[in-house]
Amino acid sequence: MQLQFERVTKSFGDLKVIDTFDTTIRDGEIVALVGPSGCGKSTLLHMVAGLQSATGGQVKADGRSVERPAPERTLVFQEHALYPWMTLRQNVALALEFQGRPAGEAHKQAVQWLARVKLDGFEDYYPHQVSGGMRQRCALARAFIARPKVLLLDEPFGALDALTRLTLQSVLKDLIEEERPTVVLVTHDVDEALYLADRVLVFSHRPARVLEEFTLGHIPKTHDLSAFAGIRREVLSLLGIDTQAQETERQTEKGDVQ
Amino acid sequence: MGNTATGVASKRAYVLAIVLILFFWQVAAWFLPSFLMPDVPVALMRLWRELGSAEFYHGLGNSMGRLGAGYGAALLAGIVLGLVGGTLNAVRSTLKAAIIILQSIPSIAWVPLFLILMGFGNLPIIVVVAVGAFFPTALSVMNATESVERVHIDAARVMGASRMQMLKRVYFPAVTPELITGAQLAFGNAWRALISAEMIVGFSAGLGKSLAYSGEIADMTGVMTNILVIAVLAAVIDQVILERIKYRLLRYQYL
Repeated sequence: MQLQFERVTKSFGDLKVIDTFDTTIRDGEIVALVGPSGCGKSTLLHMVAGLQSATGGQVKADGRSVERPAPERTLVFQEHALYPWMTLRQNVALALEFQGRPAGEAHKQAVQWLARVKLDGFEDYYPHQVSGGMRQRCALARAFIARPKVLLLDEPFGALDALTRLTLQSVLKDLIEEERPTVVLVTHDVDEALYLADRVLVFSHRPARVLEEFTLGHIPKTHDLSAFAGIRREVLSLLGIDTQAQETERQTEKGDVQ
Repeated sequence: MGNTATGVASKRAYVLAIVLILFFWQVAAWFLPSFLMPDVPVALMRLWRELGSAEFYHGLGNSMGRLGAGYGAALLAGIVLGLVGGTLNAVRSTLKAAIIILQSIPSIAWVPLFLILMGFGNLPIIVVVAVGAFFPTALSVMNATESVERVHIDAARVMGASRMQMLKRVYFPAVTPELITGAQLAFGNAWRALISAEMIVGFSAGLGKSLAYSGEIADMTGVMTNILVIAVLAAVIDQVILERIKYRLLRYQYL
């Protein structure tokens, strides 16, 4: 599914959050939105999901204006989006049950999807009984089970420790390769963007506009991102982090950027 | 419940409290003449005799029927109104203000109105019970509905939930913990309303009527026996039945 942002602006009262965003995301493309905290990246994602509307301009999915949420455009939240009163299996099955599929079939598929994210054996655990990484695996299964055409990820691994984050990035990458949805990823983590995305858009502080666009292309990648050291340096420098000297000093100043 | 140590401790506290209450009653009985305050064993003996009489069970059955009908209807109505009211931003504050105003009226104050409106019989008592239980239920559900986490609602919306599915699968389970607290509060109100309404209306047998009758014929042993029954029943329903339902519904929290 192709996504088009046509002169999209967003304000909350007098506060201008997004300053004219224009881009087209091709079917099956993986795009990462990187930028400082509170710059409106998540707002863009919520617009594609149909949870928020643009103040000006419009967001289109396959040429049709997005007006409300639909299961074909699904969103993975940062955390706490699983329902604590449901087991992992019930959480994943719910995505199908909401689409009117019979409970039996939904639960059968949920078990299969939990196995695909390596959560077999944990089907009947409640979210608070498993680790944060396992919860996000489950959230991925819940997103993918509906076979979305657009997958929106809102800092999906932001709350995880560094090592778990790398593992989950690989899990996500494999799922994307197998299912081939169009992906929009919002992240603070430049390495995560470089590892997962075909194209990286770097945003400015509020009101957000695109500072620079980096096209990496859809190529096989590992967590060894040394081939992209140049791009990485440029992105970090756009985010105000000097990679040459006095790195620690600058970093504490702009502590909101990783 | 999840912690056995606290469970044992709270049981011990209950036993101690019961012993203390009975002790003060007995002290009062020692100082007052027996036609004003019966000894504890005398009242317990009367209770034992009552438990063997069909008349007692007839009254008990009547009272429980009224409680069940009134409390049940109030829970149902309170849940529905609380959920719907809590999700409708336009009417929420007005509805809440109305509930807070109406809630401050003691439910027993409605008796004269309902008696004339509905006639002498079971119905006015049931409605008074329902009125007492309805407001705390509706208020707790409405407050909880308001504070359901944004991300839980958004997640359901992106998964394509309909309004009805949203209420049933997201809002209802999300408000259940507060609903149970509200329902326990509502039970206290319902119980008070039931006994007082039965005492005033005095229609057919029942715990409240039996108490009022004992008072009228100055049978203090009967009065204390009835109070004993009322206290024990309330404690059993609240601490055993409602607590058990709470544990079952919120099982996921205790795992």
